[in-house]
Amino acid sequence: MEFDACMKHKLVRKSVREFAETELGPIAHEIDQEARFPIEVVEKMGPLNFFGLQVPKEYGGAGIDSISYAIVIEEISRVSGSLGLCLTVHNSVGISPILKYGTPKQKERFVTRLASGECIGAFCLTEANAGSDAGGVETHAVFTGGQYVINGTKIFVTNGGVCSLPLIFAITDPQANPGRNASVFIMEKDMPGFAVGEIEDLCGMRANPVSSLFFEDCRVGPENLLGREGDGLKIGLDALDTGRIGIGAQAVGIAQAAYEASVKYSRERQQFKKPISSFQSIQNMLADMATEIDAARLLVYRASARKDSGRPFGKEASMAKLYASATASRVTGKAVQIHGGYGYSKEYDVERYFRDAKVTEIYEGTSEIQRMVISRAILAEPV
Amino acid sequence: MKRAAVMLKMIVCMKQVPMVSDLPWDPVTGTLTRDVAEGMMNPACKHALEAALVLKERHGGHITAMTMGPPMAEEILREAIALGADRCLMVSDQKMAGADTLVTSFTLARAIEIFCPDFDLILCGCHTSDSETAQVGPQLSEELRIPSIAAVEGLDLCGNAMRIKRVSDNFLETLEMDLPGLVTVATGFYVPRYASMSGLHDAFREPGILTVGARDLGLDDDDVGLQGSATRIMDIFSPVAKKENIVLKGAPKKIVEELLDRFDDTIGSLIRKDLKAVK
Repeated sequence: MEFDACMKHKLVRKSVREFAETELGPIAHEIDQEARFPIEVVEKMGPLNFFGLQVPKEYGGAGIDSISYAIVIEEISRVSGSLGLCLTVHNSVGISPILKYGTPKQKERFVTRLASGECIGAFCLTEANAGSDAGGVETHAVFTGGQYVINGTKIFVTNGGVCSLPLIFAITDPQANPGRNASVFIMEKDMPGFAVGEIEDLCGMRANPVSSLFFEDCRVGPENLLGREGDGLKIGLDALDTGRIGIGAQAVGIAQAAYEASVKYSRERQQFKKPISSFQSIQNMLADMATEIDAARLLVYRASARKDSGRPFGKEASMAKLYASATASRVTGKAVQIHGGYGYSKEYDVERYFRDAKVTEIYEGTSEIQRMVISRAILAEPV
Repeated sequence: MKRAAVMLKMIVCMKQVPMVSDLPWDPVTGTLTRDVAEGMMNPACKHALEAALVLKERHGGHITAMTMGPPMAEEILREAIALGADRCLMVSDQKMAGADTLVTSFTLARAIEIFCPDFDLILCGCHTSDSETAQVGPQLSEELRIPSIAAVEGLDLCGNAMRIKRVSDNFLETLEMDLPGLVTVATGFYVPRYASMSGLHDAFREPGILTVGARDLGLDDDDVGLQGSATRIMDIFSPVAKKENIVLKGAPKKIVEELLDRFDDTIGSLIRKDLKAVK
């Protein structure tokens, strides 16, 4: 059992940190305040393979391992949670289902464009009446005249405003049982009937253009159906296992940023003629923050290592996501507390970290859903 | 794209330096304790590698990244591969610890003579961020008996020679150097690229890299490291900036006279006048 990072993972971290701090650091505050997607940075990330992190080389990706993947998401999120979100959604739930269930033709046609960063991906499950309950999906696809006609509205789509190849869930057989009634389609932005809604005015992750997507009589051929008809739930659950490693890593990155800011501030801020880091109340908070971040990071890396070794990792990914997201919320809360009034001000980054952290407990499966996944896995194990 | 008749064979010499600003050092030997600090590629070496990569893109070529250092310095060679170098050479031996710049140049020269003798161009960073001597590059060219130009801003192949731009005082010099030769690259012109994720992945495909020690270079213990060094560090310390407030009191004429008496050297150097002569 090895707990120290190997040379490769250290170098991945240093390289991504250098990129993030140089290119994203100076604008991270501004893009949050202006709710602006930093396209100028995204364009630089394409040639560096940030949009095809685990895509095999034959489709233009980098083919990196899952721990490297987690480190990349962690380091980008440490500087900008919004862009970390864009990357992980694109790479995990946006691309991995096509890699796993797509035909060679679909991979050639769609994955190459996604991996280069030419197209940004998204994963559309949530609707007005569906989220944690995937069975509530109302978007439907009717097969007629050799094509599927898709109608419905997806909400809270991460990357919604910038995606051009989103995956969507639609009911294809309303009569089938709930596990077999949905399918996944690869949609293309220029299809007639595809429209993007207003960008949501959210609490955090404001530099990510989260929006609704509308599909009105959108016609797609069977070549846009991912897997077989009725595979939707299986594909979705699979994708979410992978996605949860990314969100766990994102939460670790946000927490790390808040922790580092707190250590720095507590050494500088003087009260009663001493730096506040000399007070036990502050020391206790810093100790808890460091310990929880360490534990969360190890859980994320364990899930990643299991994925790379080809073993089941759904339970471990859920544990990592559950713990890391709660850690991000607690740590960023303490960071605001340590910064006092300044921490509550938009001038200080910890205020942004605090807002960004909360949603990690909500998307890609709420904490309550993670507990359900974990407990089901535990109770299914032999006594 | 115009390609040179001969493919340029380049060597980029690089050094791993500590990432922290407060360098840990051994108070007994006066040398840096490198194994406790997180390392990184010396910034100027990144510029030298970038210069080599630009030449390779423009004319074709082959780049060997080379370093002398402890085993952990392998990381910067892997980084060089990720950035586009073709091959690496690691010179590493416990006996080489504590080498001064002269014996470092001597050791590098022996390694180059044995393992990459047919080079056209050696590129070094203009100085390192940990010791700032700027000596290894020029000394290496002396050891190899080849021409060298230090602190170059830009370079390109021109026939069978290198055309080099260098800023000297307020002038921009254009120089030509025969090959094989050596340049040390300044940090003002080239913008080092970022490693791609694909490059980082590929950099670790090969499990091991070519590592050579003193014996492989035909060198004795006395020839390398602290033992082989001609210089010894007598003392090393962190400079402490001292601030002092002085209030001059009295009539203006007296104050000015006192000010000039106390600070004529400092003020004179700022306004480039010999104030002692003026007085």
